Amino acid sequence: MGDRKLLEPDVQFIQTLGERGADTLKKCYQCATCSVVCPISPDNKPFPRKEMIAASWGLSDKLVTNVDVWLCHQCGDCSAKCPRGARPGDVLGSVRSYAIQKYARPQWLARAVNDPKKLPILFAFPAVLFVVLGLITGLMDFTPELRHGHISHGMFFSSWLVDMIFVPSMTFALVVFAMGLKNFITDMHEAAVAEGKVARTDLNWLDLIKAAPKVILTILRHDKFSECGENKERATTHMMVLFGFIGLFIVTGVFFVVLYGSMAWFGSYELAWHSPYSQLNPVKWLANVAGIALLVGALVMLKNRLFKDEKVAKSSYQDWALIGLVLGLAVTGLGAEVSRLIGAATVTYVVYFVHLMFVFCLFVYLPFSKLAHLVYRTVAMLYAEYAGREEALKKAA
Amino acid sequence: MTDNNAAPKGRIMVVGGGISGLTTALEAAEAGYEVTIVEKLPSLGGRVAQLKQYFPKLCPPTCGLEINYRRIKDNPRIQVLTMAKVNKVDGGPGAYDVEITVSPRYVNEKCTCCGDCTKAVTTEIENSYNFGMNKAKAAYLPHEMAFPQRFVISPKIIGTEDANRAKDACKYGAVDLAMQPQKVNLPVGAIVWATGWEPYDARRIDNLGFGQYDNIITNMMMERMAAKNGPTEGKIVKPSNGQAPKSVAFVQCAGSRDQNHLPYCSYICCMASLKQSTYIREQYPDAKIYIFYIDLRAPGNRYEKFYKKIKEDPNTFFIKGKVAEVSETPSGEITVVAENAVTGEKIRQDVDLVVLATGMQPSASIERLPADLVFTEEGFIVNDYAKGGMFAAGCAAKPADVVSSNQNATGMALKAIQTLVKS
Repeated sequence: MGDRKLLEPDVQFIQTLGERGADTLKKCYQCATCSVVCPISPDNKPFPRKEMIAASWGLSDKLVTNVDVWLCHQCGDCSAKCPRGARPGDVLGSVRSYAIQKYARPQWLARAVNDPKKLPILFAFPAVLFVVLGLITGLMDFTPELRHGHISHGMFFSSWLVDMIFVPSMTFALVVFAMGLKNFITDMHEAAVAEGKVARTDLNWLDLIKAAPKVILTILRHDKFSECGENKERATTHMMVLFGFIGLFIVTGVFFVVLYGSMAWFGSYELAWHSPYSQLNPVKWLANVAGIALLVGALVMLKNRLFKDEKVAKSSYQDWALIGLVLGLAVTGLGAEVSRLIGAATVTYVVYFVHLMFVFCLFVYLPFSKLAHLVYRTVAMLYAEYAGREEALKKAA
Repeated sequence: MTDNNAAPKGRIMVVGGGISGLTTALEAAEAGYEVTIVEKLPSLGGRVAQLKQYFPKLCPPTCGLEINYRRIKDNPRIQVLTMAKVNKVDGGPGAYDVEITVSPRYVNEKCTCCGDCTKAVTTEIENSYNFGMNKAKAAYLPHEMAFPQRFVISPKIIGTEDANRAKDACKYGAVDLAMQPQKVNLPVGAIVWATGWEPYDARRIDNLGFGQYDNIITNMMMERMAAKNGPTEGKIVKPSNGQAPKSVAFVQCAGSRDQNHLPYCSYICCMASLKQSTYIREQYPDAKIYIFYIDLRAPGNRYEKFYKKIKEDPNTFFIKGKVAEVSETPSGEITVVAENAVTGEKIRQDVDLVVLATGMQPSASIERLPADLVFTEEGFIVNDYAKGGMFAAGCAAKPADVVSSNQNATGMALKAIQTLVKS
């Protein structure tokens, strides 16, 4: 009892958590059932009991730097077994949301992305941007002609314009992530060492990256999801959405290379291999399968959230916003393709335009939204693997 | 007691013959009022008759029960109906019409408790007095401290050869197989519901392994096991093989303070486990005892002193953390898993025997009472003093220890008397 520490409760933090699904956290009476029933919590300093009391006391610094909140996959076993209905799963989810916002720059954009009132502005912004840039550059044609007798979205919204917008957008997201991650990893490491829950106390970036193959395999196989008891089916829907995104990312990358590669080869924009590509093209098959996986996965996620028992899990704005984004991407993406194939020219251009609005939201708002878990959880799992979060106890013993 | 010249009017019905009901009935009767005790089991005594010892004095409940039975026998104002159930309550304060069904016991007052009928019958039935830890013959005495001291014949053997064997074995003509259920109509002025509690069904706590592993028992089973008149004659053993346990874990709040089970604290389980740790220590000086708790509740000075005394035991360990997972090792030990919330480490403790400190579920929540009463969400009776006439005493009103139940029961006797006086 020698160490005395003055606790400084961050009341604003507690309030924010409450708004993001953790309105029950004060019900916790620290019985620690959650730490035991959690199938993926380690024996050494298990979660989420200690996170519950830290959240209750408003110790935001302790929580946003905590690797454990990211190891949680929110399967809900803890919330189902919680004797008090304190929903530890949702509390950790809200802490993650808070941490994403805290590490992202610029802060004003992070606040806006997490504020439902700002949604209309954020969503309308790309529309205005597209039209303004399109008019200035003349790369948007409101009376597009057919390309080789087919409807081509590129005739309406030039691929130059697309890349002029989306290459910087993606770069922006990467820069924001890079800045956030550097602080995140350093903080996370300091906190983990201070708590004595990792076997390794130095921070070697190269070794950290070496842990990647194992961790990425774990993520792709959804091993952690499968350990959950309460909501096993989440593994399937999450897998569909994740693989859908990966598939579409590959497709976009391939067609990007094909377009500019062919352009360089022929030395002409006109002669380059433009979209639309044939439905017989295997890359197109991947695109269609991935698109459908995204749509079905998102629909099932939506259904699960709509019919979920609020006593076990409550959905926050961040949850709905992400599902909305994924659904929007899938519906407009597939919608643009189908309407193009059936020859509904005006419809397909409008849908394609909206699709690009969703893509813009995906890229630019990514580091501030729930989807940032893609990066933060991966990095936290990487760190846990590197630092030996599971093995610390064995080493101490 | 001073004699009361004015003859008291009306009768008080006390439903339930446990410690609260007995106290209410005796206090009212000794104040000069007519009382009927309606008990659903074949004997009075209730839950306390199943205990080995009371906390914190560690004295046997048989002692107090015996005194109460003596007082009943000496008091002509008390009528005892056992194996009786209230069917219907009509009317209002001061003038209730009650209909009671008395089930046949098939043994009359000539019974001398010789036990010949037990020897004669062959059929065995589940012994609910010992929570099914052993069997009883279908002709049996409920337990040594039964009141009335009279055997019972289980309806299961009525009409069989076994019943005739019991009848033939009785030298006193006490076995009467022709007994029929009887309806009793009773006008009463006030009713005290002392319907008590049932141990919460531990099978419903699916992560604590009760019913799945033999060496996980409940606190009430521990009482029976440790009691001299219990299924093991007082020897605390592992149910799986009858051997002595070298280590025992107590799991506090098993299904209590839990919105998925009983949302409230049952008040007595912490003290009961502390008390039961002395049962184990008495028989096994070196056994390791682990008490897993959320908060230990030892209310009041006497209980606090008791807790402090138990804490002095070097082989009794208190771990702040609720057990939320159990499993069995290949060698038959039970592994209990908890997070020690003080050190922040997960503990996997292997023990020979696990005692689940299960709480009290009001009996009225399991079988609704046939009267116009107000219940809490959990099934406890809410006393409506403004309306009066009917009152709840003891654990029918809230979870309580024996001392508080008796104090409360005395108060309810007075409430019942006031109803009669006012009407």
